[in-house]
Amino acid sequence: MSEASAGDGPLIRLRGVVRAYHRGGAELRALDGFDLDLARGGFYALMGPSGSGKTTLLNLLGGLDRADAGEVRVAGEDLARLTNAELARWRADHVGFVFQGFNLLPVLTALQNVELPLRLTPLSRQKRREHALHALSLVGLADRVHHRPRELSGGQEQRVAIARALVTDPKLILADEPTGDLDRATADQVLDLLVRLNAELGKTIVMVTHDPLAAARARTVVHLDKGKLGRVEEQAGAAPAQGA
Amino acid sequence: MPLGLVWRNLLAHRVRSALTMLSVVIAVFLVCTLRSLVVALAAGVDASAQNRLVVQSAVSLFVSLPLAYQGKIEQVDGVAQTCKLQWFGGIYQEPKNFFAQFAVDHDRLLDAYPEIELVEGTRAAFEGNRSGCLIGRGLAEKYGFRVGDRVPLMGTIFPLADGSAWDLEVTGIYRSKASNVDENTLWFHFALLQEAMESGRCRMPPSVGVFVVRVAPGADSTDVMRRIDELFENGPQRVQSTTEAEFQRQFVSMLGGVPTLLSSIGGGVIFAIFLATLNTMLMAGRERTRDLGIMKALGFGDGVAFGLLMAESCLLCLGGGVLGLGLAKAAEAALSVGLQMIVPFYVVGPETLGLGLGLSLALGVLAGLAPAWRASRLQVVQALRAEG
Repeated sequence: MSEASAGDGPLIRLRGVVRAYHRGGAELRALDGFDLDLARGGFYALMGPSGSGKTTLLNLLGGLDRADAGEVRVAGEDLARLTNAELARWRADHVGFVFQGFNLLPVLTALQNVELPLRLTPLSRQKRREHALHALSLVGLADRVHHRPRELSGGQEQRVAIARALVTDPKLILADEPTGDLDRATADQVLDLLVRLNAELGKTIVMVTHDPLAAARARTVVHLDKGKLGRVEEQAGAAPAQGA
Repeated sequence: MPLGLVWRNLLAHRVRSALTMLSVVIAVFLVCTLRSLVVALAAGVDASAQNRLVVQSAVSLFVSLPLAYQGKIEQVDGVAQTCKLQWFGGIYQEPKNFFAQFAVDHDRLLDAYPEIELVEGTRAAFEGNRSGCLIGRGLAEKYGFRVGDRVPLMGTIFPLADGSAWDLEVTGIYRSKASNVDENTLWFHFALLQEAMESGRCRMPPSVGVFVVRVAPGADSTDVMRRIDELFENGPQRVQSTTEAEFQRQFVSMLGGVPTLLSSIGGGVIFAIFLATLNTMLMAGRERTRDLGIMKALGFGDGVAFGLLMAESCLLCLGGGVLGLGLAKAAEAALSVGLQMIVPFYVVGPETLGLGLGLSLALGVLAGLAPAWRASRLQVVQALRAEG
């Protein structure tokens, strides 16, 4: 699996992004005029206190939500211009998601869960199965393919979720607190896996985390505060990232 | 659309799915059975001969007509033949052994009703034996009657003065070529009845219930009926002529609102099951919120979310519907035998099966509509926050 080229600019470009929520008549701005460029091939940790806008930012980057104002451009696509159906299709083609709660379908086996996104591709059943098995072997779960989520440990569930996120060979993997529900040792295994995906497969990874140890594994840490971009820290072997 | 997911979701809640499906099975079975009863009740009307009339008292079906009317009716222009028809109402062995018995003009019956086809015995044997009778195949099978057997009937409307039974002999067994003549009827000589009445063995005045009139080819039935009614306009007993279809319809209407009642019960059952299925699907939709959010996040569109819930609902109802139809068909033979004395020609026909299948599908679509619509409108972020 290798990352497809989509131009020379940053993979992610945000300009003047506003996302507000309305609670009891009051407007709460989760992102308030947010600007950010993230280069392709980077491994970014988004950090900040609760309510700083980390998850909102992640949702906008993944096309799960829409900005109220501003530009969200990912892989050259202005997401605001896409219809709901186009946005769904775009997600399938460009983004892999890893959630804190794993979010596997409980009625499907590990293999079926990983195979699920491939149903949106023209691949044959045989090819889908081959790709899914390959993804599961990449995350070290080749011997758990027929287990249902409830038969797996938390760490194994998260690795299945990572296999599902990468099976379509997306440019971008978005992880929302991927180690939040895991013990330290298991969290380290999952983080090792994300580092490998970034280093060996060239996947751009954007990870929301509260955990400094998890953030330490990223090449760049982006701090958010009250809906605005804070400091950006490059770490050892840092990928280029800059506030605009 | 991942249809396997639909199946797995149904299996994930086996008990709930099974109970909902069972309720659909029972509903479709009941609807098909009740509709088949209604159809069977109407079958006699639908199959009635167009060229046959029934002349009865204008007062009531239960008021008899003078025997002398027969000759006068036969003089009416357009009348080809008449045949006396008298409900006998006898008891064979015990009251629960109910079946229809008619005293008829023995030498005219088979001309008046060409639907009757003898499968055992001969016309000559029936006509030549004063105590002879014809019985339908249904009766023969039920009571094991064969040609030559005696059939004692205790008269209720026409009791014999000495308290004995009317002694009839089976001289023929028939099958019916149309559903207006059923195969659970016994026909015997009106002359036997008339002789008993005239001799005093039976203390009833000689009269007859109705005359069956065969209209001559080319004659207009409406004109013939008008002429017959006009003939007796000044008495002594006014008559009312109707087509056989209308006569059958009146007979069915004597059952009161039974067909309407049966249809209403069927409708009520379907509506109740619709609510139950809707409830099941709304629960399924709510439980599936997070899963649908995951699928949408992965790139599945709103249409897939709609289709998943709709397919689940339709599969549940169609599955139940097919099983219900199978049950209705499987019970057909037993119900046909059990109901033959009340509703002959009970059949779960292809139209009823089609109706059952259509109802099942409609039930599935209607019950799935609201949860499927909700699923299609789910926002990914909100759906992912739902409890799994």
